[in-house]
Amino acid sequence: MTAVAAPPSPRIDTAVARPSRSRVGTVVRSAASAALGVWWLAPLVPMLLWAFADRWTFPDRLPRQWGLDGWRAAFEAGAGSAMASSLAVAVVVAVIATPLGAMAARALETHDIRHGRLVGVLLVLPVAVPPFAVVLGLTSVTLRWGIPGSVALITALVAFSLPYTVSVMRAAYAAHDLTMEEQARTLGASPRSTLWRVHLPMVAPSLVMSAFLAFLVAWSDYLMTLVLGAGRVTTLAQLLGSSASSSGHDSSVAVIAALIVAPPLVLLAAIHLSIRRTAQR
Amino acid sequence: MSGHLEIRGVERSFGATPVLAGVDLSVEAGQCVALLGPSGSGKSTLLRIVAGLDDPAAGEVFLDGRQVDGVAPERRRTSLVFQRPRLFPHLDVLDNVAFPLIVSGVRRREARASAGRFLDLVGLTGLASRRPATLSGGQEQRVALARALAARPLVLLLDEPFSALDPEVRDDMHTLVRDLRAAVETTVLVVTHDRAEAAALADTVAVLLDGRITAHDTIDALHTRPSCLALHEFLGGRNAVMGEVVAGRHLSPLGVLDVPWGTPDGRGSLVVRQEALRVAGPGEAWDVAGVVTSTRPHGARHLVHVDCSGTPLALETHLGPSLLGVGAPAYVVVPQEARHVIPLTRLQSPATTSGTAVVAPRSED
Repeated sequence: MTAVAAPPSPRIDTAVARPSRSRVGTVVRSAASAALGVWWLAPLVPMLLWAFADRWTFPDRLPRQWGLDGWRAAFEAGAGSAMASSLAVAVVVAVIATPLGAMAARALETHDIRHGRLVGVLLVLPVAVPPFAVVLGLTSVTLRWGIPGSVALITALVAFSLPYTVSVMRAAYAAHDLTMEEQARTLGASPRSTLWRVHLPMVAPSLVMSAFLAFLVAWSDYLMTLVLGAGRVTTLAQLLGSSASSSGHDSSVAVIAALIVAPPLVLLAAIHLSIRRTAQR
Repeated sequence: MSGHLEIRGVERSFGATPVLAGVDLSVEAGQCVALLGPSGSGKSTLLRIVAGLDDPAAGEVFLDGRQVDGVAPERRRTSLVFQRPRLFPHLDVLDNVAFPLIVSGVRRREARASAGRFLDLVGLTGLASRRPATLSGGQEQRVALARALAARPLVLLLDEPFSALDPEVRDDMHTLVRDLRAAVETTVLVVTHDRAEAAALADTVAVLLDGRITAHDTIDALHTRPSCLALHEFLGGRNAVMGEVVAGRHLSPLGVLDVPWGTPDGRGSLVVRQEALRVAGPGEAWDVAGVVTSTRPHGARHLVHVDCSGTPLALETHLGPSLLGVGAPAYVVVPQEARHVIPLTRLQSPATTSGTAVVAPRSED
């Protein structure tokens, strides 16, 4: 390559002025946001109060004695191992259901699949079918075939997560520009390189949201774990159910409930921050 | 960093519709060839076949003598710049340009340093850290060009890359491409439907009509000596008058006009560009007389239609309606060097099967 003088720099676009928002509109929006926040968070307040209440008797409006008795009781009842089980099941389900949903969605959106519409309907069918009816039938099959309860549970939860992962990823692939990948190939990227450097980064926000939904389905499941786990898999949701119905220790039940609520909220906040940071760059 | 591109007999259909029907084209190393054709003529399809993004039904593509059919796009060393720049939105400008270097195994730091030099070439050094979404259309296309060149292709393929830009920005881009060609000496095949763009960018122009390369020559030769009537019309030629050549003279309703030496005897259509015709000044000799039937602005000039004893002629002139209005007599000079006769046997495109010859002179568009 021989040296050449650089052509004159093109004009740099100046920032485009945005129309100013009215003050009244801003106030209304803020008030509506605050009301929504209260509506969503208000139910959590009694739970948090109970979690740190060693003594709270009727008719006191607030706990009479604060402390961590509930936390001790909850962990003595197995909250630690139940949380580990819940995390393991939810992560495994998210790890399996997200790529499966993405692949199905990409195939449905970008390929001319035979009976594609029918396949799309079948993939969202688990949402339309009452889980109780399905898992009861599955239990007898897994018992007769000697399939481990954990495997049956993961399989069923993946099936019930797929409608969500497929839906999110179909929306992502409907807007995905396949010529970006063609562009990468003509620039020398192998199919694998194109996948890791172009395809996945471009659908990453949807993949994260899809994984989050699959995680939630598994994390919050009670019924399928109860039936298919056959008592060998104890998750937080199950521990909460059994504690609430048997122990009568309100503060330990509140602690277990808080342990169920916290991880999804933390995850959601992390996702939101990550997406906002990416958008700002 | 330039290669010789050879396309032989490439065919491609979409369903039952043939789009490319045996395309032959050769682009010498270091040359820039414009592939010109109407919308839907298969220009972009041909480019995709060369890039390896589409497979031909028949035919071969050679790069520097190596047959590349079946070779993956990333192994062909052809960079394609699409009509839309296709910058990767998750990468900043510098990383976009460094992309082909990184995927080829260059360490990231070296790749970014090298990418900076390509950004210098397109005059965007100051925008290295910007995201593609913050760039204007022209800036995006500059980055796309820098990125394509960073891949060090044997052949750079441009698929109507500037058609979405404003005319002023497009002119800047044409200048940039010429500067880049001088800098990196790469072979270029550019697809366009814009004759002005083809003329501005390319050494030669190949015209794709009816699925085949109808002609491949300099833009001047294509305009003044079209090989067939379809080409003449595609290139905007408005005058074609059927007649007969006898001993170096074309006999038609226009009268008897001398034609260039070597024009074979026989029936043929006399074609003359409307830009070449002019109205004779006072006392100047003229070739054809007629009456103005219409006049309308055409850019900085006027397009005037003249009825010459029943045969229409179109010419471009600086004379406005006040000097050359409807009904005024017009004495037209047909410059000797602008006359060209298309023999009856070649009136249609070479790709067209035999059928009724087009003999009617073209009138209003």
